[in-house]
Amino acid sequence: MSFRNSVTIVASPRPRVGKTMLARLLVDFHLQEGRSVAGFDLNTEEGKLAEFLPEHVIPSAVGEIKGQMALFDRLIAGDDTTKIVDLGHESFESFFSVAERIDFAGEASKRSIAPAILFVLTPDRASSESYRSLRKRFPQATLAPVHNELLGSAQHRDKYDLIGSGATVVHLPMLAPAFRRYVDKPPFSFADSRLAATFDVPIDVNIELQRWLRKVYLEFRELDLRVLLADLKSSIGPI
Amino acid sequence: MAKPAVILVGADKGGVGKTTIARTLLDYFGAHQTPTRAFDTESPRGTLKRFHPDTTEVVDVTSVPDQMKIFDTLGSAEARVTVIDVRAGLLSPTLRALNDIGFIESAKKGQITFAVFHILGPSIASLDEIAETSQFVGDASYYLVKNHINETSFFEWDPATYNSYFKKIKGAEEITVPKLNEMACEQVELASVPFVTFVANKGPKDEAANYSFVLRGYVRHWLGNVWSEFDRVKLIDLISPKAESNVRQVAG
Repeated sequence: MSFRNSVTIVASPRPRVGKTMLARLLVDFHLQEGRSVAGFDLNTEEGKLAEFLPEHVIPSAVGEIKGQMALFDRLIAGDDTTKIVDLGHESFESFFSVAERIDFAGEASKRSIAPAILFVLTPDRASSESYRSLRKRFPQATLAPVHNELLGSAQHRDKYDLIGSGATVVHLPMLAPAFRRYVDKPPFSFADSRLAATFDVPIDVNIELQRWLRKVYLEFRELDLRVLLADLKSSIGPI
Repeated sequence: MAKPAVILVGADKGGVGKTTIARTLLDYFGAHQTPTRAFDTESPRGTLKRFHPDTTEVVDVTSVPDQMKIFDTLGSAEARVTVIDVRAGLLSPTLRALNDIGFIESAKKGQITFAVFHILGPSIASLDEIAETSQFVGDASYYLVKNHINETSFFEWDPATYNSYFKKIKGAEEITVPKLNEMACEQVELASVPFVTFVANKGPKDEAANYSFVLRGYVRHWLGNVWSEFDRVKLIDLISPKAESNVRQVAG
């Protein structure tokens, strides 16, 4: 595979766990890396991905077959674009049940696309069960657990069996709450080279933001390598 | 030489997806490398022929020359299985004709494998026809296919009435065909190719096509369900009795 055709799905069956923030950062990360990026927004509530990055994100839905075609046909298209799906909690089950039914993972691997699912960890039972079920339903996908530090420093290892490709947790470092107000007003792109001027961000805030972004992007680079490695391993076969 | 098999696909009324079932059968035998030919009785213009032009011939099953074309060639044809898509309302006349030419008799003697797929729609138009059918089927393997052609229609007939009629047919087995998404169905219609070809993203001349991946996924999932029903009733064993006798030997 190559990153030019990767598909990353940001998911959690819970609302308000930082999925959209994670998706925004992913879109901006790949833009910063100079890749062509398409985001797919499956949220129905406000604070949507499409509002933050209107130029790069397509509002999507999986309820109707037309929406499913617009979404999944684009996801597996070999158009040299990195795709990020922000899966709203309401769409969690319907998205994955359609994906399973049409064998999205199978078609993706046929086309050398390695899908990754970023799963935001929360301590509730429903989430840990969803996580387990996803691993069973999509063994070909890299299932990467994400710990959003904003949600507290909880240890999830007792609730989630973090094994295989999921053994390493992606950490989303906390952005000081005082800075959130600068970045939570859509539209907003972290990848904007003139962040301070475009979005009216004070210079000291910008310095802190850049420091935070470096930490986030480092996590993403490591994740990319893991996806690449998992794909390499699966192409070699069991070792 | 293996015993030839004849499968009649019929219904007591139109629009219940008879041709759809015939198409899934042709795809199923194709997947099992069983040479198959088909006759389409929607004379003069057949729907089945549009999807499977190479294996299908359009015939008028009530005319003697066409009957000869079908039944006199059973032993000599390369195809092991003959699927006949019987036009709506023609099921009992066809069976009667088969009886008259002694076909039912040869099936009874075991010279020919004979199966009937009776497709049921959301309602039963004519229960009398079923009663009439039952006297001709003899030892045929009889399959009642509940075809869920769309979500809104449901089986409105009363199970008691239904049983009282279908109990007349000894050993009738039920097959349930789930609904295929309308848009997926339409796209296959437009493409005019067999279901397996659609799933493989190919055109009528085996050229690469560009069908929606989602729709192909729906068709694959649906076809898998239909075929697992055929597997469940051991359709292949019926067609290839050799395999069946092997199994028996091992079991006995």
